[in-house]
Amino acid sequence: MKALLQIAWLWRCRAFWLVAGALISIAALATAVWMMTLSGALIAAAGVLTGAAALRVLGPARVVLRYAERLVSHDAMFRAIADLRVWFFRGLAHSSAGGLGFRRAGDVLSRLVNDIEALDGVYLRVALPLAGAVFLVPVLFWQIGKASLPLAFVVVALFAFAAFWLPWSAATLTLGAGERLAAAASALRVTVHDTLAGLREVRAFGAEGRQLATIQAREAALLAAQHDLATRAARAGALAFLCGQAALLALFAAIGLDPAIAAAAFLAVAAFEAVGGLPRAGVAAGHAAAAARRVLEAANGPPMLPDPDQPAAPPRGNALRFEGVHFRWQDDRAEVFSGLTLDIPSGNRIALLGPSGIGKSTLAALALKVAAPQSGRILLGGTDLATLDAAVVRARIGWLAQSTHLFADTIRANLLLARPDADDDALWAALAAARIADTVRALPEGLDTWVGEAGSGFSGGQGRRLVLARTLLSQAPILILDEPCAGLDAETERAFFTTLNESAAGRTIILIAHRLTGAERLDRIWRLSDGRASAAAG
Amino acid sequence: MHDSRIATRAWLRAQTRLARRGALPVVACGVASALAAVAAAWCAAAVLAQGLAGKGFAPLPLLGFAVAALVQAGFGLLSEQASFEAGAVARRRLRSDALARLLAAGPAMLRGSHSGTLTATVIDRIEAVDGLFGRYLPAAVLAMAGPAAVALVVLVLDPVAALILGVTGLLVPFAMALSGIGAALAARQQFAAMARLQARFLDRIKGIATIVLAGRAEAEAQTLGSAADELRRRTMRVLRVAFLSSAALDLAAAAALVLIALRYGSLMRDGTLADAETALFVLLLVPQFFAPLRSFAAAYQDRMHAIGAAEALIELPPLPPPPPVLEVRNVAAHGVTIDFEHVCLSWDPSRGRALDDVSFRVNAGETVILAGPSGSGKSSVIEILLGFIAPDSGRVTFNGADFATLVPAAQSRLTAWIGQRPVLFAGTLRENIRFARPEANDAAVEDAARFARIDGFADALPHGLDTLIGDGGFGLSGGQAQRIAIARAFLKDAPVLLLDEPTTHLDPTTEAEVFESLKRLTIGRTVILASHATAAHAFAGRRLDLRHGRIAASRGGA
Repeated sequence: MKALLQIAWLWRCRAFWLVAGALISIAALATAVWMMTLSGALIAAAGVLTGAAALRVLGPARVVLRYAERLVSHDAMFRAIADLRVWFFRGLAHSSAGGLGFRRAGDVLSRLVNDIEALDGVYLRVALPLAGAVFLVPVLFWQIGKASLPLAFVVVALFAFAAFWLPWSAATLTLGAGERLAAAASALRVTVHDTLAGLREVRAFGAEGRQLATIQAREAALLAAQHDLATRAARAGALAFLCGQAALLALFAAIGLDPAIAAAAFLAVAAFEAVGGLPRAGVAAGHAAAAARRVLEAANGPPMLPDPDQPAAPPRGNALRFEGVHFRWQDDRAEVFSGLTLDIPSGNRIALLGPSGIGKSTLAALALKVAAPQSGRILLGGTDLATLDAAVVRARIGWLAQSTHLFADTIRANLLLARPDADDDALWAALAAARIADTVRALPEGLDTWVGEAGSGFSGGQGRRLVLARTLLSQAPILILDEPCAGLDAETERAFFTTLNESAAGRTIILIAHRLTGAERLDRIWRLSDGRASAAAG
Repeated sequence: MHDSRIATRAWLRAQTRLARRGALPVVACGVASALAAVAAAWCAAAVLAQGLAGKGFAPLPLLGFAVAALVQAGFGLLSEQASFEAGAVARRRLRSDALARLLAAGPAMLRGSHSGTLTATVIDRIEAVDGLFGRYLPAAVLAMAGPAAVALVVLVLDPVAALILGVTGLLVPFAMALSGIGAALAARQQFAAMARLQARFLDRIKGIATIVLAGRAEAEAQTLGSAADELRRRTMRVLRVAFLSSAALDLAAAAALVLIALRYGSLMRDGTLADAETALFVLLLVPQFFAPLRSFAAAYQDRMHAIGAAEALIELPPLPPPPPVLEVRNVAAHGVTIDFEHVCLSWDPSRGRALDDVSFRVNAGETVILAGPSGSGKSSVIEILLGFIAPDSGRVTFNGADFATLVPAAQSRLTAWIGQRPVLFAGTLRENIRFARPEANDAAVEDAARFARIDGFADALPHGLDTLIGDGGFGLSGGQAQRIAIARAFLKDAPVLLLDEPTTHLDPTTEAEVFESLKRLTIGRTVILASHATAAHAFAGRRLDLRHGRIAASRGGA
């Protein structure tokens, strides 16, 4: 429940719409209750003309108010949900710059979509009827109390039981079931996504039957969890219905005392009808509370590196210098760097050589402020990285990694990620530099061609070159190219380096590679070994 | 557009036929519950009439009212169970059907569709049809039967009141039909928007590191925000119309109640009302008359959700016809000779041919290296041999048998494959290796792990071979992942080995080690290696140079 309150706090800037929805909802409820009370009075008093006139007005008013309530409350909820989505993405971006790490992409999606949608019921099906129930308690007590005080106590007690206690206990009971449901849904989604993303493996190993069996087992688990929740909801609903009927029974039994109680019976019918959905909503609220906790947990992960409180002014120069850097990813892992010292003057082209696992990518992570050294300093233009905003550092450094993502979007949109204001000429120049311009030009839709998932529709080498074009398009004065030619044939690789020598003139190039082709024009070559860099012949 | 609507209608009709039996118990419970409600109304009317007439306490009708309430609650519970069951049965059936079709279509699907979109189809779209079977179909029957039964009762008691109910009741489907037309159109757009948003989220979350390091997180968050806002606007457009039909229902119910109340009010004033009990009974039946219509209106949304889902489900590739039994061949499992005969293939006509009249032969036990720049057609050759795609013309034979006449299971039995980047499933290392041959015992899996030198790094992992890897598990390096692919191929022990640039993403030391393992794996098998790596020269074998989908040169070997 605490998580739900935190989510509600996120929605404070939507308070106007949310409160407006609640007020209209109460107004609609008030007309409904008034109408029923008048109908009852009409019958009890055998036709009062003023009441009849009021009925003629109340009927249409109620219809209009109900329509307005539905529109405003739904609109308010959707606004709040959209806010939540964006907030979630921001939180995730803040906490996982180094990639999704241990989180499952499929699982995160499942959380995002299902959990956030589970939260939309909180306002519509819980908060609004609860507000209505709070409004109805004094109305019921006053109207029935006029005829009989003990009767008012009985009816209000039954009402409170149905409107407050049942939903609350349903919510707490459901908390566990809701977690199970979400876990089952997430497990099913991961298996289905694994199977579909791995269709090649599945086909190559003839695993269709096995995967289907696994999916069906997970589906059965999901259905069982849903059945459990549905049963709880049905029971809670039935109990609430019986509460309403019991209240009516009490009123009917007392009708001999005072015919005015007939009007109260009609009022009770309307009141119980208004909160009839609440116990069921309690089940959904339990579910939503679990969802809220997961949403918060995913978005509130610890940030990779907090920015300094008072960042230093962006340095003027772009020389990069590592000074006695010691670094390990985790306390129980070996040191990647033990006293790394490396000087990369502005505009220099250097290569870093070494086998995989020696820390070439870690070096990029340190330079990009994805991680910070345990001791030693990294200086950009003479200013310690620790005193700079990550955004400032990242605007200076373009990074092409093994894991750089090609988005399911147009070629244009993929390129513009690096420089949103680039014009078509700049895009074509970058594509030419990455040796892919001719291929793109030959496509019927050119720059507007859609790139499929992880670049499918293009061969591995072509996808790689698109990503490379994006990196070259960025205006960062420092480029870190991590195996830029992996997946390219030797001929294209040589051609690429020839172009790079021209197109990246004046920029610092840090080439991370396991071998050199001879076509690179380099100022220095460093070899990484034993956590240090040593100059290699070149 | 028109065709798709016809297809959707046909789909709905077919589904309705299939689900009729499942809906029956829900309808039966609904009818029983409605009868109990009528009885309760009658008891209540009797109690009220007696009380208002000052005759005091009426024990029998009170008892009847209590019993009717219990019966109503009981049937309500039963009805919900039956409704859940009906939806679950239908979802299970649709999901296994969708998966069968996707699995049969195979990896070629991934060229045109995002696996996130396909996952959404299999999970969310099918979840969305639940209401069609559990709620809409029974509610559609009850919406006719319920009001008709109540109107009949009223007709016997007071024909004028029955007329009022009939006229106001008929307004409801009329208004629904009017608003339903607009709502159906809007619903289609809304679902397209929802699917787009979801695919976009998955893709952006997968690439979140790229976005963050490019400093575009804020811009992308705003784009996602406007996408979510667009979704809100689309959804509201649907709801604005959908709520209109609810408003029509509210209006009809209020009109009926007010008209009947006024009628009895004036009758009472004139002193011509013969029987107060009847008047009360009729008044109390008014909500009962509209209740099934209300449930139907609520369930109408479910039908629209189902229509949105139907379009995605219809778009799935149809199940291919099973290969004719007579032509299914068995190919001798050892010593496979592969022949390409004038094979042509194009993935996309606008991009030209990927393979253009390619012919070559690989003898049993021979290793052939396919060389050529990226995009020259090496992968296409491999994908044809894996059965991922069939050639447009020409044919491929295994020991003289046309590959196309082999059932997929036989095709995959013959070949082991190592691609550029293996997909690791969420699970343990051991499970990922055993994926190649599920019946393999632990000793065989450990043998394979040793062969592929997995034990070298697995021992350092927290739980050895039982460490969780894959999407969400322990991150493996490219070389380590490729070793799992090698272990899979070793465990599978197929006569044909297909290697598609297996060392592209590895550094030279790792590449040399992986090639070393691969060389041992090639012994006694027919091997096709697609690679431009210079280290591939280490492989003894004939070399075929591919250029623009044609064989440019053939060197070395026999």
